Amino acid sequence: MIRGRGAEVRSRNRACGVEEIKARRRQQERALRKARKEKQLVSKRLPRGLQGDGEEMEIRETSVTKEEVLQLFQRIQRGSDDRLAALRSLRQMLQLKETQQMFVRFENSIHVLISLFTSNLASVQLEATRCLLELSHSDDQSISLVCLPATPYLLTYLSGQSAKFTELCLYILGNLAAENEAVRNQLLVQGVIQALAICLQSPHGAVVEAAAYSLSQMLQAKEAGEKIIPSVLEANLTPHLIRLLDLDCEFGMQTAVECAWCLHYIVSSGVNSECMISQGLIRQAVILLIALGRAVGSGTTTDGMELVLMLLGNIAEMGLEYCEKLQHQTGIFPALCITLRTADPEAVRLTLEVLNLILSRCEQACVSFANQNGILALEAIQYNSNEDIRVRANFLMDKYFANKAI
Amino acid sequence: MQLLRNKMQQATSRRPVGAAAGGDREPGPGLESAVAGAEGGGDGDGEAELLPSPFTFSSRRIFLQKEDEFFEDGDIHRHLYLQNALTSVGEVERPKVSEFCCHIAGCSQLFDTLENYEHHYNTFHRNVCSSCKRSFPSSHLLDIHILEWHDSLFQILAAKQNMYVCLVESCAEKFKASSDRKKHLIKVHGYPPDFRFDKPKKPKRKANGLSSFLPHSNQRNQDKSSHDMDVETSSCQKETTDIFCGTSTELMDHVSVETMEAESPSVSGQEKSTTMQQRPFYSYRVPATICFGHGSVRGFKNPRKKK
Repeated sequence: MIRGRGAEVRSRNRACGVEEIKARRRQQERALRKARKEKQLVSKRLPRGLQGDGEEMEIRETSVTKEEVLQLFQRIQRGSDDRLAALRSLRQMLQLKETQQMFVRFENSIHVLISLFTSNLASVQLEATRCLLELSHSDDQSISLVCLPATPYLLTYLSGQSAKFTELCLYILGNLAAENEAVRNQLLVQGVIQALAICLQSPHGAVVEAAAYSLSQMLQAKEAGEKIIPSVLEANLTPHLIRLLDLDCEFGMQTAVECAWCLHYIVSSGVNSECMISQGLIRQAVILLIALGRAVGSGTTTDGMELVLMLLGNIAEMGLEYCEKLQHQTGIFPALCITLRTADPEAVRLTLEVLNLILSRCEQACVSFANQNGILALEAIQYNSNEDIRVRANFLMDKYFANKAI
Repeated sequence: MQLLRNKMQQATSRRPVGAAAGGDREPGPGLESAVAGAEGGGDGDGEAELLPSPFTFSSRRIFLQKEDEFFEDGDIHRHLYLQNALTSVGEVERPKVSEFCCHIAGCSQLFDTLENYEHHYNTFHRNVCSSCKRSFPSSHLLDIHILEWHDSLFQILAAKQNMYVCLVESCAEKFKASSDRKKHLIKVHGYPPDFRFDKPKKPKRKANGLSSFLPHSNQRNQDKSSHDMDVETSSCQKETTDIFCGTSTELMDHVSVETMEAESPSVSGQEKSTTMQQRPFYSYRVPATICFGHGSVRGFKNPRKKK
């Protein structure tokens, strides 16, 4: 099974040529596609930095026996000095799916784990929490259900002051929420939305990022439109998300992208999200797009660009009024010109899509676009190697700027 | 598998048109011509003939299973992104220090990493009740504790109106009694009946009839858990300085039962004693207003003066 840890860490540290990197990446992708076909692809958020104490978190054995796991469980139950060491070993072993399955099937194992999770001995509590984090990583729905009794404690601890611990709890919640509706329902009645709202205002960047991640896991649910998004809008979470899109607020690119995901889910859900527009969504999204464009230009790969483009496109799609707001926003057309010039064909195609949506609805936009040197950027794309892009660029030029071609 | 989000493919309103991903769905037959018609409609005024618009996006809701091919590219992309995100996090250096002890008076927990100590301090020495030294996981629970345990006005008001606040911060409900609150927590919020941070205020009495002196005595609950709504402070680990730890030996039978209750019903019997030694004891606090005189076990042998 592809777990994607460890091996990749080591291989990245070796110096190698660009071609080698590309070839390896292609091979990786092939392997991942194969794994996905066999339903073996598991990719969850499991921040390794939270798990290790600087140690290498490799599993030395590739398989465990039931006796080994049972022995660990018994050492944990018995308590005293041995407990911590046993918890550490268990945590490492829980990286394996077999261990997870075995462990949850022992009588009262989860109960014991949760009671240690609420212990007042710091090292025991942290270690038990990390075990829970490993379990939350599982894609087995039954395991996430088994972890349900932990949720009231997880949510209670979100109001605590230990940033590292809060971060861990947030990732556990996010991973569990991704799994099934029963978990999400329980979290909702236990006040997860409001708890996340508080975490989003934390001064600790890691906590904010983890909170945005957890929120995105709630928002991506298929029932989100009916059950979750209205509460999120009502709880006034969106101003925080929008504020956090601005990279200048010192929390970094990753947090901004997580928040962009949350906003994207809300906008594309179809729930009326006009309030977000008045909360400055367009302005912040454009700022983020510019920053992302710059980051791509300087070589730091970013995955947020298509996301923000999709967000803008969905806003444009909401109607003429929104297109007017969009085209009115300072910096949007320069930002779109930047993304037009990137090497990523997907980003270029999305940019053309967004342009089409805006230009087709709003005449004023054509004028603004032309005034801000958009035509030059569009013309350059007419010679793009990708046919789809050429076709679309030609269409836009012919339709809106036929009499302005230079 | 769509465990997390899919980066580029969203099965709701936004669908990248003409994406080179495997499994991209073609737009419905009517859509292209309809869009083209709308687009081309306004250009019948002598401009060059335009091809139908290559932009065929239109907002609609599509539901796909998470194994659908449509998500393949996104899944792969996300997986690689997560791996890259993880590696940078894993390389943080942890400062190594030799074992040290928490410096808070009465607390004797040991640590060998700053991270653990930070966690300990923030969790157990932050939201501490100044009256009884209990610590709580959040300021919300501390506030509730102070109100219900140390506010003399509370009892008076509670007789007339609903004063017991729900433990869930975002819930505004109030209740007449803590048992009502507990029922609410179980029924509405799905809390377990043995929720660690909601034990009724019930100082443990030896069976000597003193319970009648206590404002909240309740015979029915005497064998039930008498734990408070808190995390036991590690101060109790130092047995000599705290009388209530000293008395724990005599209360061993009761305590061990309640320890099980608060911890987990599953903790096996054989490790009761080791659990007891390991875990700090629950305190059975005597309200400051009650005095038992000099000879009483529960009196004031405690060198620490009660406030």
